Amino acid sequence: MTGDGGRVELRLTVDGQERVAAVDPRSLLLDALREDFGATAPKAGCRTGDCGACTVRVEGAIAKSCLRLAVAEDGSDVRTIASMADGDRLTPLQQAFWDLNAFQCGFCLSGMLLAGEDLLDRIPSPTDAQIREAISGNLCRCTGYDSIVAAIRSCARPAAPS
Amino acid sequence: MIPERFGYVAPTDLAGCVAALAEGGRVLAGGTWVLPEMGRGESAPAQLVDLRRAGLGGVTATGGGLRIGAMCTYAELLDSDAVAAHAPLLRTMADQITGGWALRNQATVGGSAVAARPQSDVPAALVASAAVARIAGPAGERELPVAELFAGAMRSALGPGEVLAGFDVPSAAGTGHGYVKLKRGWSSWPIATAAALVRLDAAGACTAATLVLGAVSAVPVPVDLSALTGQVLDTDAVRAAADTAAAAVVQPWGDVLAPPSYRAAVAGPVARRALSAALSSALSDAREESR
Amino acid sequence: MTALAPGRLTGTPVRRHDGDTFVTGRAGYTADVPRPGAAHAALVRSPHAHARIGAIDTAAARAMPGVLAVVTGDDLVAHCTEIPHGLDAGHLGGHHAAVRPLATGTVRYAGEPVAAVVATTPADAAAAAARVEISWERLPVVLDAGSALLPGSPLLYPEWGDNVIIEREVGPDDFGAASAGAAHLLDGELRTHRGTAAPMETRSYLADWDPGTERLTVHATTQNPHVLRTLLATTLRMPEEQVRVIAPKLGGSFGLKMYGNREDFIVPLLARLLGRPVRWVEERAATMLAGTREQVLRYRVAFDADGRLRALDVHAISDHGAAAPTHGWGMAHVGALSTGLGYVLPSCHVRYTVVATNKAPWVGTKPFGKDGATLLLERVMDRIAGVLGLDPATVRRRNFVPPDAFPWLHTSGLELDSGDYATALDLTLRRLDLPAVRAEQEAARGAGRLLGVGLAFELMPESADIPGAMVAAYDTSTVRMSPTGRVTVLTGVTSPGTGNDTSIAQLVADELGVPMASITVVQGDTDLCPYGFGNISSRSIITGGNAAVLAARDVAATLRATARAMLQLQPEDELVLAGGLIAPATDPERAVPVEAVAGAVHTLSYRLALDVEPRLESTRTYRPGNVRQQPDELGRMQTYTTYPYAVHASVLEVDPETGGVSLLRHVVTHDCGTVVNPLFVDGQVTGGVAMGIGAALGEELVFDADGTPLTTAFKTYLLPRAIDLPPVELEHLCTPAPGTPLGAKGVGESGFSGAQAAVVNAVNDALAPRGVALESTPVSPPRILAALLEQP
Ligand SMILES: Cc1cc2nc3c(=O)[nH]c(=O)nc-3n(C[C@H](O)[C@H](O)[C@H](O)COP(=O)(O)OP(=O)(O)OC[C@H]3O[C@@H](n4cnc5c(N)ncnc54)[C@H](O)[C@@H]3O)c2cc1C
Ligand code: FES
Ligand code: FES
Repeated sequence: MTGDGGRVELRLTVDGQERVAAVDPRSLLLDALREDFGATAPKAGCRTGDCGACTVRVEGAIAKSCLRLAVAEDGSDVRTIASMADGDRLTPLQQAFWDLNAFQCGFCLSGMLLAGEDLLDRIPSPTDAQIREAISGNLCRCTGYDSIVAAIRSCARPAAPS
Repeated sequence: MIPERFGYVAPTDLAGCVAALAEGGRVLAGGTWVLPEMGRGESAPAQLVDLRRAGLGGVTATGGGLRIGAMCTYAELLDSDAVAAHAPLLRTMADQITGGWALRNQATVGGSAVAARPQSDVPAALVASAAVARIAGPAGERELPVAELFAGAMRSALGPGEVLAGFDVPSAAGTGHGYVKLKRGWSSWPIATAAALVRLDAAGACTAATLVLGAVSAVPVPVDLSALTGQVLDTDAVRAAADTAAAAVVQPWGDVLAPPSYRAAVAGPVARRALSAALSSALSDAREESR
Repeated sequence: MTALAPGRLTGTPVRRHDGDTFVTGRAGYTADVPRPGAAHAALVRSPHAHARIGAIDTAAARAMPGVLAVVTGDDLVAHCTEIPHGLDAGHLGGHHAAVRPLATGTVRYAGEPVAAVVATTPADAAAAAARVEISWERLPVVLDAGSALLPGSPLLYPEWGDNVIIEREVGPDDFGAASAGAAHLLDGELRTHRGTAAPMETRSYLADWDPGTERLTVHATTQNPHVLRTLLATTLRMPEEQVRVIAPKLGGSFGLKMYGNREDFIVPLLARLLGRPVRWVEERAATMLAGTREQVLRYRVAFDADGRLRALDVHAISDHGAAAPTHGWGMAHVGALSTGLGYVLPSCHVRYTVVATNKAPWVGTKPFGKDGATLLLERVMDRIAGVLGLDPATVRRRNFVPPDAFPWLHTSGLELDSGDYATALDLTLRRLDLPAVRAEQEAARGAGRLLGVGLAFELMPESADIPGAMVAAYDTSTVRMSPTGRVTVLTGVTSPGTGNDTSIAQLVADELGVPMASITVVQGDTDLCPYGFGNISSRSIITGGNAAVLAARDVAATLRATARAMLQLQPEDELVLAGGLIAPATDPERAVPVEAVAGAVHTLSYRLALDVEPRLESTRTYRPGNVRQQPDELGRMQTYTTYPYAVHASVLEVDPETGGVSLLRHVVTHDCGTVVNPLFVDGQVTGGVAMGIGAALGEELVFDADGTPLTTAFKTYLLPRAIDLPPVELEHLCTPAPGTPLGAKGVGESGFSGAQAAVVNAVNDALAPRGVALESTPVSPPRILAALLEQP
């Protein structure tokens, strides 16, 4: 017997490329991305929505891909941190994470970078408290978070003079 | 990765969802609870009926209040001007949901209500808001005061094949609100919540006060505050009300994060803080108005 | 302080050399390694904490779609030996327990793997695993060390006659004599709780069996690829060279992924049995099984009227869980060795008893047992301060080993090399502005608020070498320069995700005077790297780094000899290697590019009449000199090579109505000797502090009365999140490790112990006006409130 029976066709635009893959309908979006679309930037840290390592953008909004059913996202535009940079040109946030050592093992980066970017989109000049809250859907076991906060802060637009 | 096989349908209207559910299976809303449960093999429905295309999302202002779709997410609550105007309590509640924006973008009010987990924010906040649940099922549609939706721990009053369509929430404009949640750090489930509404007359006397405790019992605990009506609320009155609240917790909930004795002990302080917050928000609303 | 030459990279905040691959999601972890056609394993785990395994019916599982094999513990017996022990208690006066990859006969903890299913997809494997039917004969469980020591307790290993894995003593047993005449005696009991490492990446393996060459290639989340290869070869009865272990990027470990876990063997065995690649990714709930830290510490302490310690006597009872082949129980030993370290303590005796219970076993976890010792001493310091009415800082200052007393032989046999503990304390207090904080505390207390300040001194022996253990205090690196001047460093040490590869590249860049960009560091591949012990005991820079420095110096010597020949210089003429050039010290104008010299070594050896071997490659081992394993007259050994330390201060507020704790500040002064890269050192310490705070407040493994784990996910095992923590305020001090080329001390375990102890002390300080003391962890809101409510 084979376990491949019952695969269904899933169409996704992954990191800007429109693609089709035959996926097991039991797959979470995380599994489909990693196993069927070769997009391994999002990681499986908990599969309960608690760690954020699996974060991607779905139709532009950040999402924990372990909490989504793959087949439900048929036709969606999905972006991972692999397509954040413009070719070799890192975004200022990626650059800041690198320069300020905002990671050690790096397993949490999908969540931290995307939550950081999402925050800066919503609030261009966040306070430290807002930064800490914005990344508190994500866990990092290595850094103690200070360097992550610093990296996001360094990309804040200076507050308009009042 | 979900071990057991299941079917998947995403009907495009409520009737389609009800029809699909007649074949059995489980409703999929945001999926933040149901998918991890299936991943652990704790639930193995024959099919998932996804509500995402059924038009159950969003918030709209109605004559006397709000209509909140079952698929309304925490993010939608936070983004909605109508919620800010008519149900600021729900907004404050949503602002304290953990999991980050990724979670808020996805988890739904309806999902949290039907999950009916004692350790959660939505149930008590909805009860305090006097929401009415709109339910569709094989026998047609019905309405239910939301307090009756919470039949027990992890048990909603939905019958087989029924779908929660949403809630009608009367406007709380002009009412002060307070929402206090106690938890053991940002990783933790809620351990005690209190949702409070206080309405004052021009003289500053209380015309209506509502207080509902969450997470301290299997289902939300409404506290009878009719004694406050007509009083000018001072610290002593708030304290007395908090004592009433603590006494209302007769069967405190216990879990791995906090035993029943702890929940019983913190119910009073949490109630007092929520009431105080509601009172000061009512007072500042009044000041605002008189300006 | 060692003066670091200007222009050098060592000591500067060089960012990760391959950081771009991380921030773009391209860094490859074990579960990312592509292998089309790999089958997937799922484990069947015991639902019971103690039971005899009866009949196993695999028919239903086999009939499931996609299933390739169902394997039980008994099926594996013919294919492997028992797992060799990293540190066999049976050889050290305790009991040996035979542990196999999958349980046979009896299970001793809930979650113990008893069977494995292999299928074409992970979902099919999991679905089939749920259908393996096992008839269990349940046995009585024992879930805490105290009960396990009582006569008549259920026995995990009836053949032992008791539940004691091992019991030993460290230090002279002379409390009676040593405490005679002391002004004060105190006794007490401290209880610590069970925690776990919880790295963000769970364990994962991809094993590939090539039937043609009979070669096994294993990609593994392991800290010790070479040691794992040795163990796999032994267990699977294969020639060692037929096994290749590759450790891709690790998503954190903190000890969890040390060699010898039973999971290390299951997937390779399945791959060999099936003759095809097999992959397995551990589920989070299983990662949360690994235990650490749970101890009862009973103590007596004697001290003088001025607070100086006279004698300490400790009985440390460790709740190990079931016996395991990993050296987790060694944490009890290291905790005993470290007890009292850094303080002038004329007599310190520790008896430690490691007890088997029906819980998943201890796994060596950062900071490897030293945390209990820190907590004990720091509680003792505060209790002494309380008895004498002294400031807690004063009591510590009076007891510190002074800076002019090194080397300092502690009663356990460990010999401290260097340090300036009082200065670290001063720096911490100055940064904190203690008088201001105390004034604030007074004011708060006046208003009924519970503000607390806690201090803690941590001293972490690092870079261990325990005789006979499979890992050692030394390691090996190769430095190789190609004809084009490119440098490859191959090292036996690995990175658990800390970035020590960048630090090693920094060191080599300085020795060879070449840019970082021309250096590649290869780690974690047994086919490529010299035999090494991987990542243990915070020793990667000390060992792999120093070894790379020695090897790079050899290569530099050959470059110098060649350049001298090229430039027709005299042997005594000095040459400077910097900026990719080799130049006469007196005549920088005549510089030649390193690649030209490297090319010349490889192509012009005869022409230049080189009197050195024309080889730009060296393999060196750095073995620290200060380890002494000849037991002294008291049987003591000096088994650690460096002694980094830190002084922490924590300020927090306790909510008297809810027991909630709000952390306000955390200050640390840290000394790890010469800092190779301050970015990485600060990151390590800050991460350690966060973990220590988590352990103090919320991270606790809890079981029900049957031994079923209840804290299997991150909503119940409460890791701190960014919003829970104050920024960590860091101060630095540098007393270089004497007698080492670099002067660096280990940093990988720093931060945890002191943070945990400082928070516990601060909570107690906050509660002091209410007359409440908490001598058990975690200091969680329910426990704090219960203590407050018990008080009249
Ligand atoms: C990381 C994380 C953080 C969280 N933080 C919080 C928090 O701070 N506070 C809190 O209270 N909760 C929290 N939760 C829980 C979360 O709020 C709830 O899981 C969520 O609201 C449930 O909504 P959902 O749409 O995802 O439900 P789903 O998982 O889709 O469904 C939940 C249950 O309700 C049923 N259901 C859903 N909608 C309907 C409907 N319309 N009609 C009939 N049945 C229905 C489903 O069948 C299922 O049984 C958190 C969860 C995660 C993963
Ligand atoms: S894997 Fe999705 S949040 Fe952890
Ligand atoms: S860097 Fe390791 S989890 Fe964040």
